[in-house]
Amino acid sequence: MLEIQNITKVFEKGTVNEHVAIKDMSLSLKKGEFVTVVGSNGAGKSTLFNAICGSFMVDGGKILLDNEDITYKSEHKRAREIGRVFQDPMKGTAPHMTIEENLALAYTRSQRHANPFSSAITKKKTAFFRENLARYHMGIEDRMKTKIGLLSGGQRQVVTLLMCTLSVPKLLLLDEHTAALDPATAEKVMEITKTIVAENNITTMMITHNLKQSLSTGSRTIMLDSGEIILDVSGKERENMSMEDLIQMYSMKKQKEFDNDRILLSSEE
Amino acid sequence: MIELQYYLSNLPDGLIYGLLAMGIYISLRILDIPDLTTEGSFGFGAVVSVLVSLQGHPVLALFAGILAGAFAGVITGCLQTKLKVHPVLAGIITMSGLYSINLVCYSLTEKGATTNLSYDKNTVFEKVKELLGIRGQYETSVVKAVVSLGIVILVLCIIVWFFRTHIGLCVRATGDNPDMVSASSINVDRTKIIGLMIANALIGLAGAMASQSLGYSDINTANGTLIYGLAAVIIGEAILGKRGPAIGVLSAVLGSVLYKLIVAFVIRQNLFGEKSANLMKFTCALIVAITLAIPAIKQKAAESKQRKAAR
Repeated sequence: MLEIQNITKVFEKGTVNEHVAIKDMSLSLKKGEFVTVVGSNGAGKSTLFNAICGSFMVDGGKILLDNEDITYKSEHKRAREIGRVFQDPMKGTAPHMTIEENLALAYTRSQRHANPFSSAITKKKTAFFRENLARYHMGIEDRMKTKIGLLSGGQRQVVTLLMCTLSVPKLLLLDEHTAALDPATAEKVMEITKTIVAENNITTMMITHNLKQSLSTGSRTIMLDSGEIILDVSGKERENMSMEDLIQMYSMKKQKEFDNDRILLSSEE
Repeated sequence: MIELQYYLSNLPDGLIYGLLAMGIYISLRILDIPDLTTEGSFGFGAVVSVLVSLQGHPVLALFAGILAGAFAGVITGCLQTKLKVHPVLAGIITMSGLYSINLVCYSLTEKGATTNLSYDKNTVFEKVKELLGIRGQYETSVVKAVVSLGIVILVLCIIVWFFRTHIGLCVRATGDNPDMVSASSINVDRTKIIGLMIANALIGLAGAMASQSLGYSDINTANGTLIYGLAAVIIGEAILGKRGPAIGVLSAVLGSVLYKLIVAFVIRQNLFGEKSANLMKFTCALIVAITLAIPAIKQKAAESKQRKAAR
């Protein structure tokens, strides 16, 4: 479904601040695969998502979605097939507009050729949105005319999730979408996420800092470090893996870097 | 009776400038962009209107004014989105550029180089008066008020309808959260340009109608329109509050009419002495500054109260 071939992204190229965010990375996702992405700050997780979404163009390599080359497609055109939920609940919704207006806007993705001067909100659409919201028992379906800014973070994330999936995307990117919520709400939002993904068989990538969650959710786990994939496990190997193994792998990698630094520093003396 | 006539004669201008206030409401409040194109598009609408009217088509001139304003809006929009110029600078660039273009337009007639042109009674208002066989100063005011009111109501309906359509919803969301609009597969650049186009089209129409109401168009009529529009929007919000786009555009018109009447009152009563009329722009700036500062002042007051209570 998603095919990433040798992509590279360098920020501030040619300056002293030059920073290689993604280094010759390749990754292939099968349809319906649910991949969790882990890695420390600055490992390139969000940069990878930005590259896939088209927030910027990569310096080299190719990105294919469902066999279509999207490397040079603009961000909003890619958004037809790619849904994305951010960590910040404020980011995915328009706070001064009502729930139904937000949903109607997001639903554009499925109605590309609709008349731009048609009514934005129809009874039929509202009923459809209500029905979908009601399934998750968050008490949002009776507040269709409420401004989204008045909802709690958890409720906003559920609405955002629905906005991204009501017209089923080919790829869903979740950027730590439960990290800003309290534990109970985070769990609930996670449950809803799993339900939606499973029901529609959506190919999904999820960034998380919760290592336990990274192994218990989905079917595959990748670990990034300094713009490279340093671990890619699935199936039996993943099942037998524990959180400690992950941490160990990670610190092993870090230790190596540390040693390198020490050699470098000591040689200067 | 004379008093009533005096205030009535100010009503048409209040309504016409209400169109300007609607335009500013759309760019400032809905798109959340400080758009300084205003004085350029207002003047452009006025001069284009007088040129078309002098060919004998005052009604067509209003549409020409709309197009002129829309054109100015598209320029500013493209500068902001496609060329990534800072929104404030983009407006200033278009406004300055248009000033020269307006000057060139004024010298297009056989009169040669000039900075103002008379309509020679080729205005919508004169045509209506002629049609109904009306004369007299009082009657003229009534005709102007009725015609302006009709046009303002028509425009209001169109704008309210527009913001209920799908594309209208996209424009609104662009001012609220552009990231989300882009994530919904909508081209944010395009919605911004459309929004600015509509805002300035309204301002262009206001320019056309204001000059027709005056009976002549002058390069300097556009001066002070931006601050006027801001004041109108703010007064409107003070009365009707910050609510949806429908109430918003209505409040802008209301604010404009009210502001015009306040100004008329001040001048009539010579509240600021003999030369009250000269202080109008200052009053305007003062109203805008005070109203914008109220939330901060309120907060400061609340904080100091809390501090005192804690002691």
